[in-house]
Amino acid sequence: MTPKAAPKAALKAAPKSLTGWFRRHIVAIAGLLTLAYLILPNIVVMVFSFNKPAGKFNYSWREFSTHAWEDPCGVADMCGSLALSLQIALWSTIGATVLGSMIAFALVRYRFRARGAINSLIFLPMAMPEVVMAASLLTLFLNLGAELGFWTVLIAHTMFCLSFVVVAVKARVLSMDPRLEEAARDLYAGPVQTFLRVTLPIAAPGIAAGALLAFALSFDDFIITNFNSGSTVTFPMFVWGSAQRGTPVQINVIGTAMFALAVLIVVAGQLISGRRKKSAPTG
Amino acid sequence: MNDTTAGGDVRLVGISKTYGDSFTAVHPLDLTVPQGAFFALLGASGCGKTTTLRLIAGLEDPTTGSVFLGDRDVTGLPPYKRPVNTVFQSYALFPHLSIYENVAFGLRRRGIRSVKKQVGEMLDLVQLGDFASRRPHQLSGGQQQRVAVARALINHPRVLLLDEPLGALDLKLRRQMQLELQRIQTEVGITFVHVTHDQEEAMTMADTVAVMNGGRVEQLGAPAELYENPATTFVANFLGTSNLIAAEVTSVSGGEIAVTAANTRLRLPAARCATVPTAGGKLLVGIRPEKISLSYAGDTDDTDTDTDATATVSDGRNRITGTIAASSFLGVSTQYLIDTPVGPALEVYVQNIERDPRLTPGAPVTVHWSPDHTFGLDAAQDIGAGVATAAGSAGAAS
Amino acid sequence: MTAPAEAPPAPVPPSEPAPMAVRRPPLRRALIPYWLLLPGVLLLLVFFALPLVYQASTSVQTGSLEEGFTVTWHFRTYADALGEYGPQFLRSVLYAGTATALCLLLGYPLAYLIAFKAGRWRHLLLVLVIAPFFTSFLIRTLAWKTILADSGPVVETLGAIGFLDVTGWLGMTDGNRVLATPLAVVTGLTYNFLPFMILPLYTSLERIDPRLHEAAGDLYARPAVVFRRVTFPLSMPGVVSGTLLTFIPASGDYVNAELLGSTDTKMVGNVIQSQFLRVLDYPTAAALSFLLMAIVLIIVTVYIRRAGTEDLV
Repeated sequence: MTPKAAPKAALKAAPKSLTGWFRRHIVAIAGLLTLAYLILPNIVVMVFSFNKPAGKFNYSWREFSTHAWEDPCGVADMCGSLALSLQIALWSTIGATVLGSMIAFALVRYRFRARGAINSLIFLPMAMPEVVMAASLLTLFLNLGAELGFWTVLIAHTMFCLSFVVVAVKARVLSMDPRLEEAARDLYAGPVQTFLRVTLPIAAPGIAAGALLAFALSFDDFIITNFNSGSTVTFPMFVWGSAQRGTPVQINVIGTAMFALAVLIVVAGQLISGRRKKSAPTG
Repeated sequence: MNDTTAGGDVRLVGISKTYGDSFTAVHPLDLTVPQGAFFALLGASGCGKTTTLRLIAGLEDPTTGSVFLGDRDVTGLPPYKRPVNTVFQSYALFPHLSIYENVAFGLRRRGIRSVKKQVGEMLDLVQLGDFASRRPHQLSGGQQQRVAVARALINHPRVLLLDEPLGALDLKLRRQMQLELQRIQTEVGITFVHVTHDQEEAMTMADTVAVMNGGRVEQLGAPAELYENPATTFVANFLGTSNLIAAEVTSVSGGEIAVTAANTRLRLPAARCATVPTAGGKLLVGIRPEKISLSYAGDTDDTDTDTDATATVSDGRNRITGTIAASSFLGVSTQYLIDTPVGPALEVYVQNIERDPRLTPGAPVTVHWSPDHTFGLDAAQDIGAGVATAAGSAGAAS
Repeated sequence: MTAPAEAPPAPVPPSEPAPMAVRRPPLRRALIPYWLLLPGVLLLLVFFALPLVYQASTSVQTGSLEEGFTVTWHFRTYADALGEYGPQFLRSVLYAGTATALCLLLGYPLAYLIAFKAGRWRHLLLVLVIAPFFTSFLIRTLAWKTILADSGPVVETLGAIGFLDVTGWLGMTDGNRVLATPLAVVTGLTYNFLPFMILPLYTSLERIDPRLHEAAGDLYARPAVVFRRVTFPLSMPGVVSGTLLTFIPASGDYVNAELLGSTDTKMVGNVIQSQFLRVLDYPTAAALSFLLMAIVLIIVTVYIRRAGTEDLV
């Protein structure tokens, strides 16, 4: 609405003074400043991936170098921790997405006892500081005498990602017209066929969103992992450790590469969906 | 599933639906829809008409009773095993499938491989041949509605159920689709069961109408029959407009009943009485507004000298004097509200052939009508039943 | 109409229940929701609810790592923990509260900009808000060490415009340093949780019909009044869930305090972490964790009651 309204308003007000212009665009200026605040660290990370630091820590600029980019796995254990993080994120995403989607479908599509209790059980992990969950989970593992490592981290990640998947899928299934499933049953699709041909395809965007969120949460999780990983080192744990021992430039390379890759995927997705919209006939 | 050799009629036997322990959507009900009929279930929202439809479709399990298609009891069958298809309210077209795949859905689920010819023919029948590759959201409301009909009809169901299929369309398009649906029904000869809250729609389209109220069928019959001889005050008020006058029966003789209301004598044929009246008992006397004639009071007082024949009221007619309370000009007719001794706001529709300029609010008038056009109802009912619901649904429909 | 008026022409199969018999849905169908819920709910019960029970029990145990811990209902641990680590609790609430307020203050204009004024740039701006997530938050938090470095351009500028004098007076900075001060920790917290504020705000702003703004303008409301009377009240669901999504994780965070702060800026999260992982004083750590949970739950409950919104997520 505004792009067209703006020049008109500008004509009427006859912008002469700088303060007048400033006042009219104050929201845009404030918003863009916030955006700069959000983006600035990413830019710093990117710039410092080309640094050649003097000591062990990569905090101040010395000279331009591409050595870290030429040898991203040149730091001991870093790429191994990255692979481990990806592995854990993948499995916990699959687990949380399957279990979370099932809960979401049950919550939206069926009436049953203990609904309120189950809703609270889903909500509470999100309403609790991560450190509380991490600490209590550790007490459980200690009491059970479980060996901390890959499995405890995987269980912990699946558990705390579950609620987020439920919320994402629930929103999608809630907005879905229950008549669509009735229509499918009316048109000779049995329960399995109805689920596979109608329910699942329509809920897919919600499930995908939940899965993406779970992946991001698991991959980037530090606090719960910190408590429950034992001697297992995920990528965030590696970064944490290096903050004490010395930060290799390669950390910035990984950070920048992941950032660039993700932005590329998002932009490509936008372009493809934009083109599809344009080429589709409009009635 | 297409064996139409057996009777295609729908029979509901003692069917009812109760939700939880308290709310009864449909009271035990027997209903037979003859094969090939265009059958309408008419009622205000919440009257149980949609529940009845869903019981036939198998989308709800009845609390009691059975559903028969022809001679076959289908009560226990899930919807996907019933030879019945539904056109859903707001269509429920699959948003992730093209129009072609939407229409082909039912055939594919039944394992039919080559669907191309059938889908093409069906899309042609609903005049959407060029739209096969589009998605539902790229179509207009009327087009979506036709896709929904095609998607159901392609399966050659024994019965096509239509759940308020025209509710989302504007008035003009609704008229057009009403004709279209009638054309399709005559063409394919399948039994249609149509649920609607729009009494006009039910009367124009269906050959049989069942008026539902509070989970019960109030009356069932041909549209004209329901309109001319309503059995209950609800039907009288919900289907069109009725003037209902509370009266006392003075005599029952031969085929004629005489009543008085506020010292006014009225007569009606016993055959048009939905109850058996006895002298001294109460009766509700009904008359449709368009059956009433309206004359300026002075014109009818002296029948001997008046030369204007049209203004003369012959002796046999029911007549009441009153004053015009309000009038509104509707184009083809004018609607008057007349305050009379028997009751306020008697409604009268007068065709705008020759308009009498003296008929303005405040004018003294005589209303009169033929006793043959009068009907009688049991006085033990709520005289206003169906009035508010009819007005409400008319508002919602526009 | 209660009984069949005429006998049905076809004989009813004997296996069929009598017409008036009440039908119940089969048991198998009634059990479907429970089967769907079972695995996920079991996971949450065993690895979310049960640990809280264990933690509660641990918090009232006494003993040592060598001899083992036993439940002695030693509630004094709570009093001792609160007495000893009161400042850290206070800091947690204070820092998290300040960061939440700053997030709202900074996030609202950006969410508003994206929702109403961005036009075709909307998608790009949204991507830019989410983009930081694609880099590990620890790496990004470390970047603040560079940005806020002593005598760096940011700190020099802040000093030159007198900003550091103001924060110094507020007790958030000390002299010409930003790193290792409360300001650095709050800056890090605000930065880390800002997207969690912006996204719910944007979602609720985006739902507002722009015609409401026009209608308010038509009814003699100046832009500021339109915002105060129409836009802001309608965005309340976003404000509530945004502040919760910011405050809750910020109150338990120890990463920012550890990486950007000093020993004087430790929050309760730092204490829980070191008690659990370094000091190995499990009862104290469990009691602290339980207290944090209680404080957060109380604040959240009171806040939700006052804001009057039940549907948070």
